[in-house]
Amino acid sequence: MIDNSKHASSFRDPSGYIFTEEGVIKRAIFPIYFKQYNALTTSGFFDSLFKNKLLIPHREITKTEDKIVIQPENIPFITYPYEWSFNMYKEAALLTLKLQKYSLEKGFSLKDATAFNVTFHDGKAVFIDTLSFDFYQENTPWRAYKQFITHFLGPLVLAHYHGAQSLKLMSNFIDGIPIKMLASMLPFKTKMNPFLYANIHLLAKFEDKHNEDYKGESKASALSKKGQLNIIQSLYDYIKKLTLKEHSEWGNYYDKTNYSTDAFVEKSTIIDTWIENVQAKTLIDVGGNDGTFVRKINSELKQALVCDIDNNAVDFNYKAIKENKESFITPFVLNVLNPSAAIGFQNKERDSFINRMKDFAPDVTLALAVIHHMSLSGNVTFEMSAQFFASFSKYLVIEFPKRNDSWVQRLLSSKVDFKDHFDWYTLENFESAYAIYFEVLEKKPITNSERVMYLLKPKHVK
Amino acid sequence: MHLLYFDPGLGAMIIQAVVAAVAGVILFSKGLMYKIKTLLGFSKNREEDIFDDIEIKDQDTETKL
Repeated sequence: MIDNSKHASSFRDPSGYIFTEEGVIKRAIFPIYFKQYNALTTSGFFDSLFKNKLLIPHREITKTEDKIVIQPENIPFITYPYEWSFNMYKEAALLTLKLQKYSLEKGFSLKDATAFNVTFHDGKAVFIDTLSFDFYQENTPWRAYKQFITHFLGPLVLAHYHGAQSLKLMSNFIDGIPIKMLASMLPFKTKMNPFLYANIHLLAKFEDKHNEDYKGESKASALSKKGQLNIIQSLYDYIKKLTLKEHSEWGNYYDKTNYSTDAFVEKSTIIDTWIENVQAKTLIDVGGNDGTFVRKINSELKQALVCDIDNNAVDFNYKAIKENKESFITPFVLNVLNPSAAIGFQNKERDSFINRMKDFAPDVTLALAVIHHMSLSGNVTFEMSAQFFASFSKYLVIEFPKRNDSWVQRLLSSKVDFKDHFDWYTLENFESAYAIYFEVLEKKPITNSERVMYLLKPKHVK
Repeated sequence: MHLLYFDPGLGAMIIQAVVAAVAGVILFSKGLMYKIKTLLGFSKNREEDIFDDIEIKDQDTETKL
């Protein structure tokens, strides 16, 4: 049966495919995978993972001789590996290893280990590829081992040595960081580390050696289950302890800002009132730091996306989510001046940030203390940013720091000779440019500050 | 193995026995060090951790709770 709604990323695994029916994501399973699916279902394997919230739960919709259709729980917004902070990435890696260990114990094995099999939902990492489990065959090595190294261990070790920015490499290497490149990027001393030597350098060497084996003379060696469990456990222990070398403290950000306590409280009260007035249930905070303002909202939110360009801010937010056991916030790393593009075959496998936002269609977009960065650091004109925000928001809460604001002054002075080219950065110009795309519902200056808050509604939204 | 839809890398399939041996030694020596440290009273309480242990609870153990 040809289904035009078949998801563009769903062509690699012949066990089945994902499709959308009336806006609902479903998964079709082919007879080739029936044996595995039935075993996973009847043995209680799936149930156990659902109860431990490690695999996205699904229910069976139809079951015929040639197709089983299941409907997984809806995830409002999918984040990709290149949008995770360091500790989020770690959690995704550990989840994959945890699943592989459990699978082995139950007579199964993960047949792939791509980082795209994981996303964040309900405040934690969750595995989303239900068809990734296969029967374990005695004494066979883990087929997905190399994939795990290039998708998880590699990027994490690179981030450890070169900073969290390295995780962004995944946006180009959709099939994982090439092992040879990975080995070459690591400092020489990593060759002295038996763990890194075996898992990365030796692997790179072996790959090179056997790449030219066109006749297929080499045979995969046998590996006991105990041996495989040793690999999994040592990967788990190593990754769990892995840290970033760069400064990883966050939390004093709001002490560094130019806000007085009163202005800070007033700002969050304005946001809270407006959110309540428009009865928002979903929102995105663009440049939301560690989620401070979203946590100050009193009305109950179903889903809040909080993104920031700073890995540490996102990591701090992620840790707070873990500590407070919050399920409604999804944090991610995003540079608003270069949001994630669509990538993969036909540029369709992984969707762009803009398209995912259009689908998510948040009730409110918060753009607090970002417009001066977009305008002055990014040279984005008011009309361009207005057009950007209008493309996905039902309402926009935006904060405008006036020219006299100390942060604006700082950004302007960093422009040196180029400073005069930013004469257009004024409240009047901002208002007239945004008036093209938005209707002003409310406008409130924050007392004792150089900042003005706006509640805007795009003109095309009725 | 007809479901192999990505390249697992032949080198990686061959090398795993070596990696497993190295991992075995690392795990063994870590376990040994831990035992020695505990005996000598050096073992500290582990820090509050945001990540769990690798073990997954079985469904029935879960329901018994």
